[in-house]
Amino acid sequence: MNQQNILKGPAGLGLLVLSAIVLVASFGYAFMSLSSQGHASFNTSSTLPWGQPIATYLYFALASSGLGMIASLPLVFGFKQFYPVVKRAIFLAFVILISGMAVLAMELGHVFRMIWVIPFNLQIQSAMFWMGVFYVADLIFLLWKLQKLENGEWDSKTSKQVGIGSFLAVLLASGNLALIFGMMSMRPFWFDGLLPIYFYLTAVASGLAALVFFTYLANGFSRDNMSASLQGLLDGALPKFFAAVLGGTLLFIAVRAITGLYTNNPEIYVVWRDYLFASSTYQASLWIGIVLPFVLMMMASVRTSTGTQVLVSILVFAGLFAERFFFVVGGQVVPLFKGTWEWSLIQYTPSATEWSLTLMGSALLFTLYVLGERMLNLSAEPPVTVGQASTSGGVAAHA
Amino acid sequence: MAKWGMVIDLDKCTGCQACTTACAMENNTLPGESWQDVLYYHEGTYPSAQMKWLPRPCMQCENPSCVHVCPTRATYKDMDAGGIVFVDWDKCIGCKYCMIACPYGVRFYADEKPLLEPDLREIFPSSNGQLWSPPYQNPEQDWKRGIGIQPPGVVSKCTFCYHKVSKAPAGTVDLDEDIAEVKEYVPACVRTCPPKARFFGDLDQPTSQVNQLIGDKHGVRLKDHTGNKPQVYYLGAGAGVPAFEPKPRS
Repeated sequence: MNQQNILKGPAGLGLLVLSAIVLVASFGYAFMSLSSQGHASFNTSSTLPWGQPIATYLYFALASSGLGMIASLPLVFGFKQFYPVVKRAIFLAFVILISGMAVLAMELGHVFRMIWVIPFNLQIQSAMFWMGVFYVADLIFLLWKLQKLENGEWDSKTSKQVGIGSFLAVLLASGNLALIFGMMSMRPFWFDGLLPIYFYLTAVASGLAALVFFTYLANGFSRDNMSASLQGLLDGALPKFFAAVLGGTLLFIAVRAITGLYTNNPEIYVVWRDYLFASSTYQASLWIGIVLPFVLMMMASVRTSTGTQVLVSILVFAGLFAERFFFVVGGQVVPLFKGTWEWSLIQYTPSATEWSLTLMGSALLFTLYVLGERMLNLSAEPPVTVGQASTSGGVAAHA
Repeated sequence: MAKWGMVIDLDKCTGCQACTTACAMENNTLPGESWQDVLYYHEGTYPSAQMKWLPRPCMQCENPSCVHVCPTRATYKDMDAGGIVFVDWDKCIGCKYCMIACPYGVRFYADEKPLLEPDLREIFPSSNGQLWSPPYQNPEQDWKRGIGIQPPGVVSKCTFCYHKVSKAPAGTVDLDEDIAEVKEYVPACVRTCPPKARFFGDLDQPTSQVNQLIGDKHGVRLKDHTGNKPQVYYLGAGAGVPAFEPKPRS
């Protein structure tokens, strides 16, 4: 209903200016570094070619896919209690994906060449070719879906068809993204046919974190500014869904860790033992970024409070970013065929330029998001939901 | 057309790195961009500890995973060029997926921090689109096949010295430095090998020296379980790679 969207006022303007300044500064720094030093300004190397910019892209792309899946709950599967967040979810999915692609563009050696060589050479054997196809389809469907909702078509036949198309595009895009890693048998830490399921789960977890945080941000971190139906969602289905998704994520991490540690293959167990679990950052991201939020979301007494939900969204945000980083780097830390030239795990810490790209992506996301909040009505809901909520969910929320 | 293959006899190899040096000189590679390298391994512990070494060029695989993953067909296997795997520097977008997918670690992205200081790219900067311009440069260039000095932002690799091999007379079976008529066309690493541990020839010709050596001396391919099927074979003891073992914890 957009009763009190603080981002439409001076606070939004301030955040927009701040985000834009950070965006310009971080882009400027990265651009200058890349122009003067090339990719020597990264700490990646021929032995570890994919670093934090790839992890950032992966994080953003999957958060976008997660948001797309959340938007499918009401639009495809009929979970109408999610209507209050669906428009924001679709818009966020769009801008997060754009932000991720911007980071990827700065990471590639020749980004503009990509525009013509990929379509003109049609290498359909490559999962990366399909990544381009599916994420472009995903972007188009997101825009199309947003346009339908902008026109008030929440339940029309075309709207449903676009919703189904969008859901399929999201499944293909994020599942294929998982297979870019999961099909690499020469990188045993990644090689896993079930990796798409893990990516789906963590995608929804990071999507939920983004959705909860930005919904609260738009409403000034106050439930009083929210519509009754949105309050009903935050008191009911959403935290339970969040708990279930975090539980599934933990289960998957546990299964991967147990099989990884059990195997005799040093290219897997050494990564888990000496890289992931030996790192205090990984431990913190796991216990504080995923386990603690899961516990909080399982506690019925605290999971509905504003403070808990905002805290959990921030923790999951950070926790899953670290999870992506350790996943991407972990697949490469065992030196491949290097003998005593690399007689240890490969050391990698992101450079200032690589951090500036992560910052640039985040600032771009905030800038586009605030612009969206100011120019569109992202809190819009179908009239029937508002009516229902005012007689049911709304009462519960005020009780 | 020939199917070029290489045989490396580890019982003859002394690990002298002459091949590595010859390759770097021939192809103007940067320090660390070792298209051809000799890798050293330790295996076992006292009293049966072993030191092993293994010359490692690009395997020019029959079923190359790097080619399958490349989203732009920049990396391709050219059957008209003896089955050599090339990188088209005009198509490469620098995504580095091929480097992830190569089981042998033989691809290089030289647009990275220098292995050694001072940085040769700064001492010999380029003005013609190359990553650097050394005082002497091999005049042979073919960016469609990744021959020469690469531009920034692309992946480079061993080409089996295609700029030499391609000039061999049609029907050549053995490219052996001891055969005067063809010695100029022998890959640099093979020609320079002091103990003559390397052999190069046509794997499609039953009578070729490489086929006879593989058959007679039980040639093996590295990491054959990957299914990549290298066109490089190893002879002699120690033709394998010990499993990765991390440095003992202090």
